[in-house]
Amino acid sequence: MYLIAYIDQEICAATSCKLCTQFCPEANTILYNTEAGKDKGMKYGSAYVAVDRCKGCAQCVWVCDNMAKHNAIKMEMIDQVGDSALTENITYAEKNTTAKLANPVRG
Amino acid sequence: MSLNYVEFTPGFDRWMPKEYRDMVHHGPFGKKTSVSQVGTFKEILEEHPMCAGCAMTLFIRLAMIAFPNPEDTITVGTAGCGRLAISQAAIPFVYGNYGDQNGVASGLTRGLKLRFGDKPKDVVVMAGDGGMADIGFAQTLHSWFRKEKFTTIMLDNEVYGNTGGQESGMTNKGQVLKMAPVGKKFEKMDMLGMAKVAGCAYVATVVPNNPRRVESVIKKAVLIAREVGPTYIQAYTSCNIEYAIPTDKVMEDAKDVENDRYKFSEYLSDDARQCLGELYGYKEYLPKPEKTLAKS
Repeated sequence: MYLIAYIDQEICAATSCKLCTQFCPEANTILYNTEAGKDKGMKYGSAYVAVDRCKGCAQCVWVCDNMAKHNAIKMEMIDQVGDSALTENITYAEKNTTAKLANPVRG
Repeated sequence: MSLNYVEFTPGFDRWMPKEYRDMVHHGPFGKKTSVSQVGTFKEILEEHPMCAGCAMTLFIRLAMIAFPNPEDTITVGTAGCGRLAISQAAIPFVYGNYGDQNGVASGLTRGLKLRFGDKPKDVVVMAGDGGMADIGFAQTLHSWFRKEKFTTIMLDNEVYGNTGGQESGMTNKGQVLKMAPVGKKFEKMDMLGMAKVAGCAYVATVVPNNPRRVESVIKKAVLIAREVGPTYIQAYTSCNIEYAIPTDKVMEDAKDVENDRYKFSEYLSDDARQCLGELYGYKEYLPKPEKTLAKS
């Protein structure tokens, strides 16, 4: 088992700085859903992690803690994050993406 | 090359991988994408085998987002870590033999000019400090002296990261590395000074802890290289393996190095200022209107 980044959507949707999407060294790993927070009555959308692409470097954690000062990202074990976004379940739309969440650990 | 070169042969699209379909339908080709929209479109760069938390990868990712016309861009690289990521992208990549990258790019630029005339085709060289300042030094400087119109980007990690940590010309004086146990005895090479002497129209240093600045620097360099002459960007992209930086502290290190020795600097020749101001709408580079004397 290994660690991956997990974004707390409630904290993220309250601020929506998008810094983690810009600082992740992996392409299309931290994506942004403009609708994610609105279902829960939050002001903005939220970032989320494509867990099958995350290499677990924790750079986003440092950026969220020290540059944005939101503390929304934590490193968690891949089998303990619950339902997460996988690349094959991510849909791109015009200036937005959505993900159908699924358990990242199969079989 | 055209906007359609990534599109499917009719009837084959449903057999293609999801990443490819996303690239065709939601990629940046033919659109204006910027760093502020990142995470909402499919990027040119794909999954790549570089180390977790590598700042060089972050820089390459930002550079690929910043290309003004990704569909008309060809990247040229050489041996080193950088080519592992640069080659995993949806734009053509040419691999120059070690040190030959600027020579290859010179020929490529001239060939594209002959074939496509005034239609902008951008050639961007991205190579490490070893490939550019040590082994490819002659070809790099000669391409600048010949005023070849392409962008040269040095991914400066201050070490030969791919081969176990030997010192390079860009390593700082006194630095002890795994394969340089007594410390480097000479100063870091002043490639910025040499670029200016050799006549580069645009010279900049940048650190990837400011994505928007990286974007603006790359855009300017590519646009100036189209019209005026050679451009050079020197980017600090730390090697977290050879310099033993914990992956979650990579941006902290980038910030420290930026404050210490890698301050943002930008040099534009007069022609480059005029080109940006008049052709591409950068108002800050237009000559300031003469102030009318206040009537007394």
